[in-house]
Amino acid sequence: MEKKMEFIRQHRLFTFYTVLVLLIVLVALFAPYLTPQDPMEGNMKNVLQTPSSEHLLGTDKLGRDTLSRIIAGTQVSLFMTICLVVLLAVVGLLVGIASGYFGGKVEMVLMRFADMMLAFPGVVLAIAIAGILGGSVVNTILALLVVGWAKYARLVRSLVIKLRHNDFILAAQVNGTRTRDILWRHVLPNILPMVVITGAMDIGTMMMEIAGLSFLGFGAQPPTPEWGLMLNEGRQYIQTAPWLMIYPGLAIFIVVAIFNLWGDSLRDVLDPRQE
Amino acid sequence: MKSIQMKKLWKMISAGLAGVLAAGMIAGCGGGGDTAKGGDAKVLKVGVTNFADTLEPTQNFFGWVVMRYGLGECLTKFDEKMNVQPWLAEKWEVSDDKLTWTFKIRDNVKFSNGDALTADIVKASIERAFQKNSRAATFFEYDEIRAEGQNLVIRTKKPLPGMPGFLADPLFIIVDTAAENGRDFSKEGPICTGPYEVESFVKERAVMKKNPNYWDGEVPYEKVEIPSIDDPNTRAMSLQSGDVDVAVNIAAGDIDLFKGNNKFHIDEISSLRTVLARLNQAPGRILSDPKVRAALICGCDRETYNNVLLKGTFIPGKAPVPPSLDYGFDQLKDPNAYNPERAAKLLDEAGWKDTDGDGIREKDGKKLQLDFVVYNSRAELPLYAEAAQSDLKKLGFDIKINTVDYNLVDGMGIKGEYDLLISNITTANTGDPEVFLRWYWKTNVNGDNPQNGSGYSNAKFDETMEKLSVEFDKDKRRALIIELQQILLDDGAALFFGYPQTNIVNSVSVAGVKMLPSDYYWITKDIKPAK
Repeated sequence: MEKKMEFIRQHRLFTFYTVLVLLIVLVALFAPYLTPQDPMEGNMKNVLQTPSSEHLLGTDKLGRDTLSRIIAGTQVSLFMTICLVVLLAVVGLLVGIASGYFGGKVEMVLMRFADMMLAFPGVVLAIAIAGILGGSVVNTILALLVVGWAKYARLVRSLVIKLRHNDFILAAQVNGTRTRDILWRHVLPNILPMVVITGAMDIGTMMMEIAGLSFLGFGAQPPTPEWGLMLNEGRQYIQTAPWLMIYPGLAIFIVVAIFNLWGDSLRDVLDPRQE
Repeated sequence: MKSIQMKKLWKMISAGLAGVLAAGMIAGCGGGGDTAKGGDAKVLKVGVTNFADTLEPTQNFFGWVVMRYGLGECLTKFDEKMNVQPWLAEKWEVSDDKLTWTFKIRDNVKFSNGDALTADIVKASIERAFQKNSRAATFFEYDEIRAEGQNLVIRTKKPLPGMPGFLADPLFIIVDTAAENGRDFSKEGPICTGPYEVESFVKERAVMKKNPNYWDGEVPYEKVEIPSIDDPNTRAMSLQSGDVDVAVNIAAGDIDLFKGNNKFHIDEISSLRTVLARLNQAPGRILSDPKVRAALICGCDRETYNNVLLKGTFIPGKAPVPPSLDYGFDQLKDPNAYNPERAAKLLDEAGWKDTDGDGIREKDGKKLQLDFVVYNSRAELPLYAEAAQSDLKKLGFDIKINTVDYNLVDGMGIKGEYDLLISNITTANTGDPEVFLRWYWKTNVNGDNPQNGSGYSNAKFDETMEKLSVEFDKDKRRALIIELQQILLDDGAALFFGYPQTNIVNSVSVAGVKMLPSDYYWITKDIKPAK
């Protein structure tokens, strides 16, 4: 307990942002219980209502409650983002460790692949891939995964190369430790913090990119309450019902800002080089 | 440590700034309504939607654009009541056996390059359309076309009452075939007889200039700039800000911005269009069961979609042909009017039941899941689709909306790659609904009627269609068309969502802007600077 208090005192900002992040996660987890009305079904007689006590943020073009849709959207957006970032980290780790530790031909092939991916403008390539696959939640994640893994693979590879010739690795090798155990016990724990930091700092960016693809129609499809999609739907009414764009936009802004700040402070806490 | 805090500070500041910027942008958009500039007396700017990649009138439906841009003209045209009127032909007659049509071509017409319009060129131009586009043969087939002086004589294989209307279709725009040697029509635009000629054309933006040899009076503008603004919202904003003087098809969400505003003029009419969802009823498809089709149709509350969601800018749908055309709209009986209880019962009868409690019905282990193909260059289409999706969900349908690019829709329709496919179709492009009904519902035998990719086939319908195609008497034609529509309604052949009012809105600096039921005529010589 004492230690925890000490930690909080030392990292006030981090604690604050963590609480905010946890709040968002809680909203996402309990979204079905928090929505005041059904986010998928509206009363078509009550479309495009201005914000009122009954509908705090108004209703959309099919009479659905905007507040409920934004809350439900937290779940969709956060779920997609977390899936994406975890997948990115896992693929990056696998490819990066393989090419960094084993080197040689494996490295050649994998890294040239990574170079190829890095040579394309990311979002444009993602649009193309999502466009070919057809719009859906899974395809959006796939598209961004294909575009994003190279960055993680490069990072992990450079970390592994730095580690590989350290004495403790050499010692383990001399003692006849199995490669699997070296990677698992010695390499992974040493590079994980950097990967986690990169992942945490990417959450905001990835959320924006997912929303961006949905906005363009390549991501979530109606009637999914996804923020980017809601922005696109609201766009048609920007002059007559601006709340349809303002509130989902605000939701994206707030959540992305919180995750970015949290990622930053997490780096300060975890990254030993900053001390 | 210090530098990190500085960085953080900067991050906060830039985040704040971004917020302010966003707020400013929103406020800026709201203020745009009062800044409409005065129009230029030399240059007309028209905001349009454009689907054409080239200005080759025989390619796909690109002829429509050639005509809309004030470039191409046909032998005949439609007036505001869809009667056929003379245009490049000054009069016509049909022989007693109803097989030979004689069109008298005007003497005083010149192409924009100065060539005189002769019956020989008209002949070559029509033959060119037949040669380059198989759609021409779905209008009429001929034994012979020949030029006799300034007369064009067409001898058809069978009596064709709709002949003058067929020749008003933009596929039969008269082009100067003699000029084709030194000019690539698809890149540089065709040589035609309209008030304007092409200065430059790319899909996103066309510039027309005055045709110095125009035959029908003075051309009012030196130049017409035609940006293609496919997004309806952006089109409305361009008109508000004065970037364009005229904009076509302002959407339901935006029309209130212009109503009652004395800086703009709205010309709104009931169009000849119908918004429908084709239902793929080929064998093996879920919708091949007539009960499921009936359930689908009567599960959609079309009154609400049109009157509430679209704010009355559309008339609720029922039959293939809209009420703006006098083909018995009120006397037609729709067996599948909105009735969700009946829809549920029909699905039960057809064997579709929700056995696993997920809200979606199943039969033989297959989900009641339908693929709904939608494009969104017209604002109402996704709205209809989502509204139907929401209503049908309550009945246990799982409708998957698949948004595709407009250019893919035609091909998907022909190949039948859909369960439902939404379209906004003109029902009387030749003056009456004959062609429309034939294209989409006459039995398609090995691709001889390509537009019917839905697998719909009814011998009674085909037989009645055959009668209609040779009937000259107006009253009898009307009776046959009503009969055809009733067959389609009884079969649940398609889901007719609604009929658009179509509009063209212009700043008051421009006069003479008019929307006709047939939407081929947007830019005409009658659009002039206001005095």
